[in-house]
Amino acid sequence: MTETSEKYLVAIFQSVSHVISAERILKNARVPHKVIPVPRKISSDCGVCIRFLPEHREIVENTLREKDESFDIRAL
Amino acid sequence: MPEIVNAKGLACPQPVLLTKKALEDHSDVDVLVDNAIAVENVKRFAANAGWAVEVTDESGGIFRIHLKKQDETAADNRESECISCADNARSAASGPSVFVIVSDTMGKGSDELGTILMKSFIHTAIDLEDGPDVMIFYNSGVKLAVEGSDVLDDLKKIEGKGVKILVCGTCANYFSLTDRVAVGIISNMYDIADTLSRAGHIVQP
Repeated sequence: MTETSEKYLVAIFQSVSHVISAERILKNARVPHKVIPVPRKISSDCGVCIRFLPEHREIVENTLREKDESFDIRAL
Repeated sequence: MPEIVNAKGLACPQPVLLTKKALEDHSDVDVLVDNAIAVENVKRFAANAGWAVEVTDESGGIFRIHLKKQDETAADNRESECISCADNARSAASGPSVFVIVSDTMGKGSDELGTILMKSFIHTAIDLEDGPDVMIFYNSGVKLAVEGSDVLDDLKKIEGKGVKILVCGTCANYFSLTDRVAVGIISNMYDIADTLSRAGHIVQP
C-alpha cells in the first residue's frame, strides 16, 4: 500500500447499517475496498464510509447499485 | 564454561522461566531450545535485562542462545540510550503509551457494529498525534493480526512507524492462528504483564 490518500475515493452512505450491508456485498463480490472513518473534511458526523481506488469505481458502483444501495462518491 | 540450560522440547513459558533462574546465579549462560518462538522470547527477556545475546543455529533444529552478562559500563550506556531514544517527553517521563486490543470488536451491544468500529479505530490509530508506543493484542484481539485480517495493512503501517506490536501467543494458539500471525511478535504473559505494568498510560478501545 504505497498510494497516497489523494488517490482514493470514498462511498458515503445514509447509515452505518448501509455501510455494513455494502461492505458485505463488496466482500462477496471480491471488490477491493476498506472501511474507514468518514474523513473530517467531508463530515464531522461520527460515521464510517468505504474507501476504494478510482480504478475500482465502476465495479463498486455497479455492484452496489445491483443491490439497490444508495450512496454518494467523493474524493478523499 | 557457560552454564547450560536445556530447554529443548519445552513450551512457553518454561524456557524463559529456566533462563531467568540461571541468570540469577551465573554470568555466562547457554540456553538450548528447539523452536523459533522460544528463541525470540528468551532473546527478548535477556536483552531487556541488559545481557548480551548471541544465537547460533545448531544442527537438528536446535538453537543455542548464548547469554553473557554485560559489565556495568555497558549496562549504564544501554540505560542512557533507552532514555535518549524515547522520542518525546511523555514517554521519557512516564513510560510508554500502550494500546491494548482485547477483542476483535469495539464496545458491547452489537458484534457487527463492533467489528466496523474496531477496523475504524485501528485505521485511525496510524496517524494519531499521541499514538501508541506499544500495541498488545490478546484474546480475540489476535484475530486482527493474522493473514486475511481486514486491518493487517493498517497494522503493518503502524509497525513500520516503529510501534512494537505484541501478539499473545497463548491466544493465537487457542484460536489455532499461531501459523497465521502476520504482524508483530508472538509474545508471552511475562512480556505482556511487564509492558502493562510499566505503561505511562493504557488505551483500551
